[in-house]
Amino acid sequence: MTDFGLSMVTEQALASDAELADELVLRLQRAEPSAVAEVYDDHHAAVRAFAKRLLGDAASAEDLVHEVFVSLPRAVRKFRGDSSLRTFLISIAVNHARHHVRAAQRRRRALSAYGDTRNDESSDPEREARRKELAQLLTRALDTLPIDQRVAFVLCEVEEYSSREASEIVGAPEATLRTRLFHAKKKLRLALSTEGAE
Amino acid sequence: MSKDLLAEATRALRETEPVSEFEARATRTRVLTGLHQTRVRRRTRLAFLLPIAASFVAVSAWGAASGQARRVLDRLEQLVGITASTSSSARTSPARPAKSLAPALRSPEPALLAPSQQAESAPVTAITEAAPSSARASASSAPSHAEPPDPTLALYRSAHAAHFVAHDPARALAAWDAYLSAAPNGGFAPEARYNRALSLVRLGRTTEARAALEPFARGAYGGYRKAEASALLERLEP
Repeated sequence: MTDFGLSMVTEQALASDAELADELVLRLQRAEPSAVAEVYDDHHAAVRAFAKRLLGDAASAEDLVHEVFVSLPRAVRKFRGDSSLRTFLISIAVNHARHHVRAAQRRRRALSAYGDTRNDESSDPEREARRKELAQLLTRALDTLPIDQRVAFVLCEVEEYSSREASEIVGAPEATLRTRLFHAKKKLRLALSTEGAE
Repeated sequence: MSKDLLAEATRALRETEPVSEFEARATRTRVLTGLHQTRVRRRTRLAFLLPIAASFVAVSAWGAASGQARRVLDRLEQLVGITASTSSSARTSPARPAKSLAPALRSPEPALLAPSQQAESAPVTAITEAAPSSARASASSAPSHAEPPDPTLALYRSAHAAHFVAHDPARALAAWDAYLSAAPNGGFAPEARYNRALSLVRLGRTTEARAALEPFARGAYGGYRKAEASALLERLEP
């Protein structure tokens, strides 16, 4: 196939993708369960991963995922197609994260009081234990941050979004996001060094 | 060192184990169940609200068409403390004089003006044009609500009834005098003065009648009743 033919096929494919996306958004606006199910199947893993990294708690993450997809038909009215649907879902999660963060913190405190570290079996137990320990350490350190700095850190450092994408998700200028990230890292380093020394 | 620890911890958090398929499916079911319940709730709400809204619209339309709405509003005004008499009189008082006076003013005075049917036709139009305008003037000058009715208006009505309804020139003369003494510069003063002159003519008090008609014939009131006054003066000449 020639270059011209290839580009024609690519353009047609993109156009049909855009039409499908538009139709999906319309179906979402009508709160069609099949549309929500379709979006869930495509994006739940990404939303869940972000929720779990942000909250540091599987149960709270599930609650947040549930809330994101239940509120999607209403929230999608604001969707203009400037960003991907996945980015839009993450932004919904950010908007709903505040009280889930508090719930996750409470749950963590309760579990630590009962000495539940929830270590699982692993192929390399020592390495896995170290990884879990570090993840828990960071999650506890994240609990000390304000929600905006926490979101900025998880989006940019853990989820590895670019600062432009992250700024779209949180709805703040890139410069603001970078400032939040700077302060978040500074506080986290301090918290980790303190905890690591203990 | 702490920088490396942060990077290592970030990597560790990124590598958290995936959620089990069972949890993902359970949440999917929760989401779809929640959406279904939301749709059912919305439909139920519509099923209740639509008939209520339709009934409200129908009743409002019927009330507006049949005039029942006005009565309901009056009752509501009474309930909230605005007295019905004040509000209804304030609402109807500007229109009432125009309604009640205009037909009576249109009726000519046959006994008096019989000799001059030609002269009579002009006054009819003149009066019918002048009276509503003055009535309108009084209506527009009257405040819309909670203003006590003009007492001179009652005097005018009384004189008007004696003149045009009872055809009692003596009583009419006294009533016109009463009105003019109460409102020498009132909205209906020119009409009252002309009608007073007619009452004098009817009573045979020619000299006084001539004195009363002269200003009209002279044009002291513009064109108002000028021709009729001149015609009457000619007939009253000895």
